[in-house]
Amino acid sequence: MNTFADRFSTTGALAELRKAQKAADEEEFSDAMWGSEAGFGSLAKGVPTFSVPNIPDPTAFLRLHTDDHADPTCKIKISHGTTTLAFRFQGGVIVAVDSRATAGSYVASGTVKKVIEINPYLLGTMAGGAADCQYWETYLGMHCRLHELRNRERISVSAASKYLSNLVYSYKGMGLSMGTMICGWDKTGPAVFYVDSDGTRLKGDLFSVGSGSTFAYGVLDQGYRWDLTDEEAQELGRRSIYAAGHRDAFSGNTCNLYHVKEDGWKFIGNYDISKMHYDGPGNVLGATGGGYGYELRVEGLSSANPPVAAQA
Amino acid sequence: MSRSYDRALTVFSPDGHLFQVEYAAEAVRKGTCAVGVRGKDVVILGVEKKSVLQLQDSRTVRKVVMLDDHVCLAFAGLTADGRVLIDKARIECQSHRLTVEDPVTVEYITRHIAGIQQKYTQSGGVRPFGISTLIVGFDPHDSRPRLYQTEPSGIYSAWKANAIGRSSKTVREFLEKNHKDDLSREEAIKLTVKSLLEVVQTGAKNIEISVMESYGKVTNLDLSQIQAIVSEIEREKEAEAERKRSRLAATAAGQAAMESLATESSR
Amino acid sequence: MENLFAITGKGYVIVAADTTSARSIVKMKVDEDKIKVLSPHLLMAYSGEPGDTIQFSEYVERNIRLFQIRNTYPLGPSAAASWIRRSLAESLRSRKPYAVNLLLGGYDTNKHEPHLFWVDYLGTMTEVPFAAHGYGSYFVLSLLDRYHNPEASLEEGLATLKRCIAEVTKRVVVSPGQYKVKVVDKDGAREIEI
Repeated sequence: MNTFADRFSTTGALAELRKAQKAADEEEFSDAMWGSEAGFGSLAKGVPTFSVPNIPDPTAFLRLHTDDHADPTCKIKISHGTTTLAFRFQGGVIVAVDSRATAGSYVASGTVKKVIEINPYLLGTMAGGAADCQYWETYLGMHCRLHELRNRERISVSAASKYLSNLVYSYKGMGLSMGTMICGWDKTGPAVFYVDSDGTRLKGDLFSVGSGSTFAYGVLDQGYRWDLTDEEAQELGRRSIYAAGHRDAFSGNTCNLYHVKEDGWKFIGNYDISKMHYDGPGNVLGATGGGYGYELRVEGLSSANPPVAAQA
Repeated sequence: MSRSYDRALTVFSPDGHLFQVEYAAEAVRKGTCAVGVRGKDVVILGVEKKSVLQLQDSRTVRKVVMLDDHVCLAFAGLTADGRVLIDKARIECQSHRLTVEDPVTVEYITRHIAGIQQKYTQSGGVRPFGISTLIVGFDPHDSRPRLYQTEPSGIYSAWKANAIGRSSKTVREFLEKNHKDDLSREEAIKLTVKSLLEVVQTGAKNIEISVMESYGKVTNLDLSQIQAIVSEIEREKEAEAERKRSRLAATAAGQAAMESLATESSR
Repeated sequence: MENLFAITGKGYVIVAADTTSARSIVKMKVDEDKIKVLSPHLLMAYSGEPGDTIQFSEYVERNIRLFQIRNTYPLGPSAAASWIRRSLAESLRSRKPYAVNLLLGGYDTNKHEPHLFWVDYLGTMTEVPFAAHGYGSYFVLSLLDRYHNPEASLEEGLATLKRCIAEVTKRVVVSPGQYKVKVVDKDGAREIEI
């Protein structure tokens, strides 16, 4: 019995000795020390890791405490519900997002930054678990910088998105929840990649993610052309987020708009969605003047079609 | 601890040398010679081929290998060590494509190979690789030829032209004297063959030449082509020697005439 | 729903895959290429769990390429299929198996004959004259039993493929809109517009 306790105790002399032995065993250098793993890899050993709860099934544990559909009284409510969009066009990449965070039916915040500035040339968007996106995209930023230092050139959008995709894939089935677009400009020009926690990674011209994405797609798809001017493209991004903010209960408050060009991204502005509904985005490039709301657009128009005689 | 068997074999000598690494460099100096020459938009690898035994299949003895579509490697030293290192490099080339969706740059794979070589000078239970390598190729989306060298210690460096292996010093000195910037394809090939002939006495049949002209375009010259270049060089040498001889003869004749004149006038 | 089809004919294999990539009710992408060219004479179409499909197919792609670089010649169709099947079977017995279904079409340049292999995520492999994965297979397999001709020319083969696509588009409730078609024959692998 004593030997059993010794073997599994974490304190005591034997345990200390075990620890020392283990430390001595790990003298072998990791590949990353001399810059392999295609220029990735942290200075720590092997693939990046983070601690998983010390229980048999972390996934079940996480679900038990976070699933507010099954159990509205659950202790941890992960913020969900979002609209994010990004598209590629002749003049670069437009990234537009809303700013509402909901936890269950409660609006937890109306001023969330859902665009994560990875570095001056890369943006990531945030949908799904806010913490997951924030943490892993910041982590991605760290590795993009390391890539830059090791290889003396900026990381391609394709490589950065693949790094994130491989990373989340290694945690597949463990409860990560992310739907993100990695946007930027590299040697190949403007690029947008969709990456989610299933491990899916898609290259494309136009993506929208989140509970409001269907509403955003409705406006975005119809207004999208490759040869949009910068002003038109920014306006399209704003209008699409407005549409989602208006129709989707879990999206709203304000819209943050970014434009990525050859020399990096630029923050264009923050627009109140209610204001856009009634008055429009204000005096900004591309704005057509007036509110986006349906009622405003159709003011004075009528579908009544009375016979001509009755009119007179 | 009872793990003394896997302690590093490469330990410092009191005066700061790593003997195992220096012995590895010695193994390289005993290996067959390899030459790399960078031209304007071409890069050449030339190696000295050991004579195969009568019953041996020469195709199984290769010293110039492809690491990927666009990177070529030649080595000097222990062939068996070379094979292991080459396989590691080939895996890294594919692994790089898998993780970043881009082919490796020549510098990247050189750094990787040098990294492995360095690791084997500082780990427990292993000995250093007894090889130096010359790595040539083109980077993706780039037209400039690249030439790098790695050594058993893990040092790597870029070159315009260089030689490794047996008599590499002689060959390098020859290259230093004769290399010009912006060599054309033919000039670069010729320079490579010429420099190899400094150490290869047996001529074309013991020379192997690989030419890389652009991303992914590699050709190995066959024996007849190399033979033609060798004979051309020999002809030139002959002509040069002939010229020298006739010049010597002319000066000798001139001197004789002068002397006879002098004797006449003094008379 | 994802659909993969493949048919052999006189000296060729045609492989077709739909091009949609869907998340719940949204098509995230409508021009996705789900057919990889693994070596000069080998095609692999894949479907299944998102994430797994890409990870597995790229892993296979790089390993087949590595073989070619190491040995200077590429793996033949049946050897490649066996290796790929074994990779899937080994993954099935791991902590997290790949859920990927495959169709492998190749041309044996030594024996001058086309080969088609049907492989599912459980590691089942069988060589067949025609094959399908997805809901489309319920319609297409009977259709091909009736109309497949092992000696069909490429034009006839493509016509049969068009029949398959038309049938699936007509009868399956959520049928994908577009297909990518690739052919492998003695001249190698290439894409074909239909």
